[in-house]
Amino acid sequence: MKPVTLAVVLACLVFACSVESVPLAATNLAISRPLPGMPMSAGYLTLTNNTTQAIRITRVSSPEFESVEMHESVLEDGMARMYTLGDLMILPGRAVEFARGGKHLMLMRPRDDFETVTLEFYAGNALILSVNTTFTE
Amino acid sequence: MSIRNLFIATVAIVAIGTGAWLSYQLMSPSAPPQWATVLPAHGELPEFALLDQSGQPFGRDGFEGRWDLVFFGFTHCPDICPATLQVLASARTQLAEAGQQPLPRIVLVSVDPERDTPELLSQYVGYFGDDIIGITGDLDELQKLTRGLGIFFQKAAPDGDNYSVDHSAVVLVINPNGQLHALFSAPHKIENFVHDLPIIMSGR
Repeated sequence: MKPVTLAVVLACLVFACSVESVPLAATNLAISRPLPGMPMSAGYLTLTNNTTQAIRITRVSSPEFESVEMHESVLEDGMARMYTLGDLMILPGRAVEFARGGKHLMLMRPRDDFETVTLEFYAGNALILSVNTTFTE
Repeated sequence: MSIRNLFIATVAIVAIGTGAWLSYQLMSPSAPPQWATVLPAHGELPEFALLDQSGQPFGRDGFEGRWDLVFFGFTHCPDICPATLQVLASARTQLAEAGQQPLPRIVLVSVDPERDTPELLSQYVGYFGDDIIGITGDLDELQKLTRGLGIFFQKAAPDGDNYSVDHSAVVLVINPNGQLHALFSAPHKIENFVHDLPIIMSGR
């Protein structure tokens, strides 16, 4: 095998291992800056369960906000309603999308001025994912 | 010209003519709105006394003299309300870029008068661009307006200051006579407003 080919194969293996080693992956992360005068913001992302076991997210927190809740907006009979999700089950190998008009993170009462937001996802007391992002303009 | 060629030419002429007729029907002012529901009888607005985002009185006559897109929401709504206002603002921008005249004003009527003061509304609506106003005021006066327009809202699961408000997701079109003229049902898309509003505002 040529050295270049070998390097590509090794890189692919490392990449594959690194992806599989992340039990819960967050992609398409977008957090809007709190609107003027508003004590809250919304966060959107896709969570993918890369394991063979179901993952139940029971809590989300952020050092930059006093409180983070999982919510779902729904349109029912022409009415816009918002529900709080107590927890969120993600089946093995499946992804759950948080998107406008549907599931979203409600980030409440920012603690200070900041440019980077850390989101921490918990299953029970176990921190299973921590991600950082900047605000989406 | 052979009979075969004559036949082909006839079919081509008919096809071109049909296409042109269809295009004219779709593009002409007589084409009906595709997404909005235009009311057969334009509804009169009730009398009410609210405040705009500057704290100035805003009543029924505030809707007279221009076209308005009216959405009912609240500033502490993190998802659907800003998304809808963004859709309306983007549609208005696209209409302006296309040379549409007149352009509609966007009106956010707060269904959370408890938290939405004129000052807060002023900060909030200003984020979405020009010619967007916010209306708030006493609950009784707000209900005069919403009941008259068939709009429903209700505080959901109140928990101190941390509560949501269920509300009608419709966008109303008020004509320059201050009458309920048409409505767009949710979910809202920019292209629906861009397509239908020129037809509606042309009065045809």
